[in-house]
Amino acid sequence: MRNIHDTQLLFDLSKPGRRALRLPTCDVPVQPIETLLPAGAIAEQAPALPELAEPQVVRHFTNLSTQNMSVDSHFYPLGSCTMKHNPKRNERAAGLAGLGDLHPYQPESTIQGMLALLYDLQEFLSEISGLPACSLQPAAGAHGELTALWVAAAYFRDRGEQRTKVLVPDSAHGTNPASAIMAGFETVTVKTLKSGAVDMEDFRAKLDDHIAVFMITNPNTVGIFEPAMRQIADEVHARGGLIYLDGANMNAILGVTRPGDFGADMQHYNPHKTFSGPHGGGGPGAGPICVTEKLASYLPAPIVVKRNDDNQAPVYSLDYERPKSIGRVRSFFGNTGVLVRAYCYIRTHGPDGLRRVSEQAVLNANYLLSRVKHFLPVPQGDRCMHEFVASAKQLKTERGVSAMDIAKRLLDFGVHAPTVYFPQTVPEALMCEPTETESKETLDAFAEMLFRITEEDPELLHTAPHTTAISRPDEVAAARQPTLCHCG
Amino acid sequence: MKPEELLYAKTHEWVAIEETDGGKTATIGISAYAVESLTDLVFIELPKQGRTVAALESFCEVESVKAVSDIYSPVAGEVTEVNTPLADALEWLSDDPYGAGWIAKVKITDDAPLAGLLDYDAYQKMCAEEA
Amino acid sequence: MPFTYNTPEDEAAMLAAIGVGSIEELLEQVPADFRLDRPLRLPAALGEMELDAHTRRLATRNASPTSHACFLGGGAYDHFVPAVVDAIASRGEFYTSYTPYQAEVAQGNLQAMFEYQSLVTRLTGLDVSNSSLYDGATAAAEAVLMALAASKGRTEVVLPDSLHPEYRQTIATYLSNLPGQVVTLTTPHGVIEAEALRASVNEQTACVVIPQPNFFGCIEEADELTRIAHEAGALVIAAYDPISLGVLKRPGDWSGEGAGADIAVAEGQSLGSPLQYGGPYLGMLACRESLVRRIPGRIVGQTTDRRGNRCFVLTLQTREQHIRRDKATSNVCSNQGLLALRATVYLALLGPTGLRETAHLCLQKSHYLAEQLCQSGRFEKVFAAPTFKEFVLRDRQADVAGFINDGLEHGFLAGIPLGRWYPELADCVLISVTEKRTREELDRLAAIVSSTRHGDAIAAHSALQTA
Repeated sequence: MRNIHDTQLLFDLSKPGRRALRLPTCDVPVQPIETLLPAGAIAEQAPALPELAEPQVVRHFTNLSTQNMSVDSHFYPLGSCTMKHNPKRNERAAGLAGLGDLHPYQPESTIQGMLALLYDLQEFLSEISGLPACSLQPAAGAHGELTALWVAAAYFRDRGEQRTKVLVPDSAHGTNPASAIMAGFETVTVKTLKSGAVDMEDFRAKLDDHIAVFMITNPNTVGIFEPAMRQIADEVHARGGLIYLDGANMNAILGVTRPGDFGADMQHYNPHKTFSGPHGGGGPGAGPICVTEKLASYLPAPIVVKRNDDNQAPVYSLDYERPKSIGRVRSFFGNTGVLVRAYCYIRTHGPDGLRRVSEQAVLNANYLLSRVKHFLPVPQGDRCMHEFVASAKQLKTERGVSAMDIAKRLLDFGVHAPTVYFPQTVPEALMCEPTETESKETLDAFAEMLFRITEEDPELLHTAPHTTAISRPDEVAAARQPTLCHCG
Repeated sequence: MKPEELLYAKTHEWVAIEETDGGKTATIGISAYAVESLTDLVFIELPKQGRTVAALESFCEVESVKAVSDIYSPVAGEVTEVNTPLADALEWLSDDPYGAGWIAKVKITDDAPLAGLLDYDAYQKMCAEEA
Repeated sequence: MPFTYNTPEDEAAMLAAIGVGSIEELLEQVPADFRLDRPLRLPAALGEMELDAHTRRLATRNASPTSHACFLGGGAYDHFVPAVVDAIASRGEFYTSYTPYQAEVAQGNLQAMFEYQSLVTRLTGLDVSNSSLYDGATAAAEAVLMALAASKGRTEVVLPDSLHPEYRQTIATYLSNLPGQVVTLTTPHGVIEAEALRASVNEQTACVVIPQPNFFGCIEEADELTRIAHEAGALVIAAYDPISLGVLKRPGDWSGEGAGADIAVAEGQSLGSPLQYGGPYLGMLACRESLVRRIPGRIVGQTTDRRGNRCFVLTLQTREQHIRRDKATSNVCSNQGLLALRATVYLALLGPTGLRETAHLCLQKSHYLAEQLCQSGRFEKVFAAPTFKEFVLRDRQADVAGFINDGLEHGFLAGIPLGRWYPELADCVLISVTEKRTREELDRLAAIVSSTRHGDAIAAHSALQTA
């Protein structure tokens, strides 16, 4: 239960002389610090950290935790983020001694179990994507995008081709154009139609021989499977370009279709979405990528390889000998802790279970769409894959109620808001992704709440939420005169 | 300055032209309509004094909490003066958009782009259609 | 699926409401020729008990810092993680929430991130911190991009060989298609030499990255190096070890209080995060106020709500990809929030005294071990520069692999061979000592070295006799 009295900062709780942790006394002969370190390098005083007792620290953070909505406690239909249940068995496995405590520079002979797991995960991800080569190194989805674009740049450089542009639909996640710029490309925006599909006329007008990559999200950000996927892939390939699949929405298509089979040359996964690695209040994620054979040699090193000698148990090792590799995109192997959870998720679902995940995710989204569309129009139409985008435009015009008002009011009903104002191509957007781990009862209750809200007094909605500890923070003041730390 | 006496770009900047020793200088700002539709501005990245701008080139940025908007120079020339205090007094943009809220002065080097600007009535009409 | 939510009756009712006959019909949105006509080739599903047994079996095939005393460092360290850190970070309200887009139902995360930012500014002596990046290497790369953007026109990035090799490789990848060039500064004596730096910086230098302590564990002359870089008009990026700030000067104070590094980055794994084979870790980045609009990633700010209560929100978001898209300061979206939370709890538990004591234990114990190993006669120190918790030793027998194998047999993860990154140091090993190591462990490691040397001497002696 929330303790509403405790919202002080750590620094407010501090009192000189308090301790929470007792360290062992030094059991080796102590030498004066001045004899070990140069005088100029030594700090004159310890950093100004707060001084607290253990019970204070525990109570402080426990009370803070109760001010969060989370998947464990609330329905969280935040579109595009795939806020599914995070199975606890995966948490346990990832924390096991021998998996969760390995040092990244241990000799390979001492981590054969971990390397076997990671090798299998590479194989699983390749099979699910239909793209044969995999790198587990990228740290998040956006990092996977960037890595794949570096791979594409290296591929074209190797072929002596000067390709400078990346095509990005206007409905894409902002990470797509931002990644393209960091990889040294210029971005060209392709329009989408009201249905969410790529505007083929605009696409063809912008397609030329300078296109390196088309970055496409499929199913796209309004939750429909791109109707012209075949033509887009064929026409980009005919020009010598590559197709990048933003894998944010893989939860819709596991075992149903594979990016490699619908024309993608590269893709990233968001294991923290699709494979239930928890979202951690903003991270960590991971961003493994899969690519076609012709791009394999450019992937970051190392990659886990397996050697089968006659009548011997297989031996796993890290392959650094990849002369065409783009190099490293981060330190150490990757966000292994997240990858172990993804491995566990795939192992506990198997081929049938993964397909069932997508079937149920699509069923839940379509069911919710069928209930919501009567009072909140869904411009894309009656069908969706794993998510859909409703629009409060009409409500805004008629009653002055915005998507933000609805989102804020939902919080009073004990539900996290959908993603609002994204994609920017849908006015007053409310992007709902229920995921497969919610029941019909939850969806029914959510639809009823939404309906009730659309009937409520607009004044009540403009000032919502009313039941939370705080309401409508002043974001303008926060941005105009930023206070970014409690400075000592 | 009176809004009725100014010229406007289709991108919502206003321009006041004055004759100065043999040339023309444009004072540039953004219209009240633009300020209102941008909502709650929090930051302005002013142009650098001395830079040259092409007509319709972005030379300044304003930010609200969740949007960034370019401000385009309606004229071609060199930025000769910048309203530096505006950065710390963004309320001038909404309180006095045609006065204290001016952004920069540009010494015009090419008269051609001036022909593309709208007068007050034409600009009002355009805003009415946009809304 | 390991559990079923919608019963067959639910499914039927839902399909009827949608107006389709089957789930298959819904999936027909995917064109037939794209549909996979076979099951995925994956192993059959395991139940929870089977998964538990399977993962435990995999785990037993690994040695780990739990089974072996760990002397491995190189940017990831076996520091102690207090129980409170695990207890707080495993609360579902923290780890199953996401980015605090709705501030009203995310004050827990937002306040914790504000506290994290505050702790980082206090640690580093700089003005602003973001709320985390992927890891130390990508934080360093992002800092380099910030410096290039801030020093308009300057294109050179000076990286010393004493900077973590994987950080250098990461920065090189980040710059691979952009207009920045790396200028490498060799460090034959294990630290950056002032004269060499002076010769490498000029009016083209955007920034100099100064590691402290550096990859070899050595203490750089940060004050002097900072002055040289600043005199050339370059920005200074500190790559520090947060634990070392229990004894070492804050990056912001290098060359004089408040006159030091312009940006400070670190690998924050040491602050309460498990080793977990390389990640997820914590990229820390702090900088001067003047660079605040170039910071990559999320930043939390303090404000008030409509009732006047103090509260916290994501702020300065126009820097970020979801708004500025191709003009964003970075593409970063997901960060390492949970690891930043762990660091916050860790620092709250340690306090100034705990951090100082931890740093002192690392310092004293590492010096003790270095001395013991050198006394054995097998090893010698390679660099004269002072060290903090890590050091490089040369194996006079040039058998680093043998040393590491002997260590394994006796229950030690003994050190990291340096030949992979530094061919000239192929006979050298990097050894790290944290506060967790006991004198008994240090003495035992030294004893193995002495006894193998002794053993080798006997072997050599008997070989002579046979001859």
